[in-house]
Amino acid sequence: MFHRNYRNVALTFMLGWFVLGWGESNAFLADWQAWQLEPVVTTAYRRVTLHSGPGDTYRPNDVLNPGLPIQIIERNSIGNWLRVQRVTEDGTVAQDGWLMLGTLNITPEMHFGTIPINHILADAELSELDSRSMRALYAVPVIPQLSAAMVAVFEQGQGHGRNPQQITKVGDSLSADTNYLEPFSRDGAILGPFDYLAPTLDYYGDATVHPSVAARIGLSSLVVFDPFWADKALCEPNESPLDCEYRLTNPSIAFIMFGPNDVLSMDADTYHDNMRAIIESTLQQGIIPVLSTFSYHPEHEYWLQSVELNLQLVELADEYQLPLMNLWAASRPLPDYGLDRDRIHMLQSGFATLKYDSGHETWYGTSLRNLLALRTLDEIRLTLGLEK
Amino acid sequence: MIKRVLSVGAQCIAPLQIMILVLVLAACSTGANTADAPAEAVERYLTAKVSADRDGVAALLCSELESQLMREASAFVSLSEAQLVDMTCTTNAGNASVTCTGQISAKYGAEVTTFDLASYRVVQEDGEWKWCGEATP
Repeated sequence: MFHRNYRNVALTFMLGWFVLGWGESNAFLADWQAWQLEPVVTTAYRRVTLHSGPGDTYRPNDVLNPGLPIQIIERNSIGNWLRVQRVTEDGTVAQDGWLMLGTLNITPEMHFGTIPINHILADAELSELDSRSMRALYAVPVIPQLSAAMVAVFEQGQGHGRNPQQITKVGDSLSADTNYLEPFSRDGAILGPFDYLAPTLDYYGDATVHPSVAARIGLSSLVVFDPFWADKALCEPNESPLDCEYRLTNPSIAFIMFGPNDVLSMDADTYHDNMRAIIESTLQQGIIPVLSTFSYHPEHEYWLQSVELNLQLVELADEYQLPLMNLWAASRPLPDYGLDRDRIHMLQSGFATLKYDSGHETWYGTSLRNLLALRTLDEIRLTLGLEK
Repeated sequence: MIKRVLSVGAQCIAPLQIMILVLVLAACSTGANTADAPAEAVERYLTAKVSADRDGVAALLCSELESQLMREASAFVSLSEAQLVDMTCTTNAGNASVTCTGQISAKYGAEVTTFDLASYRVVQEDGEWKWCGEATP
């Protein structure tokens, strides 16, 4: 019954070896070893559209009905998109496609550490998109890899005594949200199938306890430099919220997201200049700036401006070789783009702790955003070889 | 007789009127040489900043911070109903700084956010007092 799948994985491994070389093929080998385990069998709890790849830009190719046994064949690098197959009793593959985890009945047997990762398909199928702006935004991988330039910044920061386990956040009310990043430090986290992220949560979790003085309601990429906006009880005279936060927390990584607020009051050029200033200030202090695109509702009156601003982030990330988390693309398949009724803030699950055993990342923007941040930290930690 | 009384009265009142006029003019003056001029300049600066009054901010911003004009004049544009609450500013000894108490209050959606006022450095340029950032202790 599973012979066809073994053969597919073996072929994929060989292809990886020839095309990508030994280093990359080791990843395939790990997947191969993972595949020695029995495939996880589950069911969808609702009618689900299957796609030809791990994203909503891939062509829908089938519809899966609830209750039918399906095997999980592979996943994307995060685990929020899975390739499943429905196999009939005679071993024929009746259905084969990708869906989002949150549409399945999640069982305790699901461990993404043992499910092969598809390294070939990108997060989006660009040929299906007719707009150049959309192609440019979707082309950015959801989870960034850490460039050599950022490894150098990390090392520079270590030379200045930066805490390798300390992260912080910079942004407007979406970042000031106490359920963004701060749950990393709260007891009771449930990673569910994402248990492969446990070592990373353990590494960074304890150091994300306090709120950031550089994440505040109404803050923009411009006034993050204005001492007026700094907390007078914590910051020094003439110290900007950004510098104050970096001094207080001594981080090695800063998650930075501006846009949902800026789009109301500045044009793309001004935003570009402001973000550049934030990036340069962060880099100069030996801190890795992790940028993030932001989700926006296409029916919002500032939609076109939001696309322009997100494109500025793509350009800047490329120029400085920065990690850019593509929240914009990852949020697109979520109901209302992961946004709350105000179409600005991300929808909350109602849980103040991390909870990934119920598919929340498929339905709630805040859950998805935290997952992407944790997965990005995982990528950074593994690249830098950091252990607790 | 009545005319004479009025004439004497008028002679007495004229210097008094002039004195009152001088006092009134002095009180109304916002000139740089009065004792509270630095505090008044800061109050006007904060009022302009909260109102996003670019010209007002430009007129009261010291030359050292001229490059920050856009940031200073746009500080609260993302918020609504920004206003000064219970502002009281006092010039400190030596006229180098002004300490203000009170807050800036503003709304973001339905949420109210506040900013505490602090001590500010002031400098005199071309005979006028200018706001020049926060004062260090």
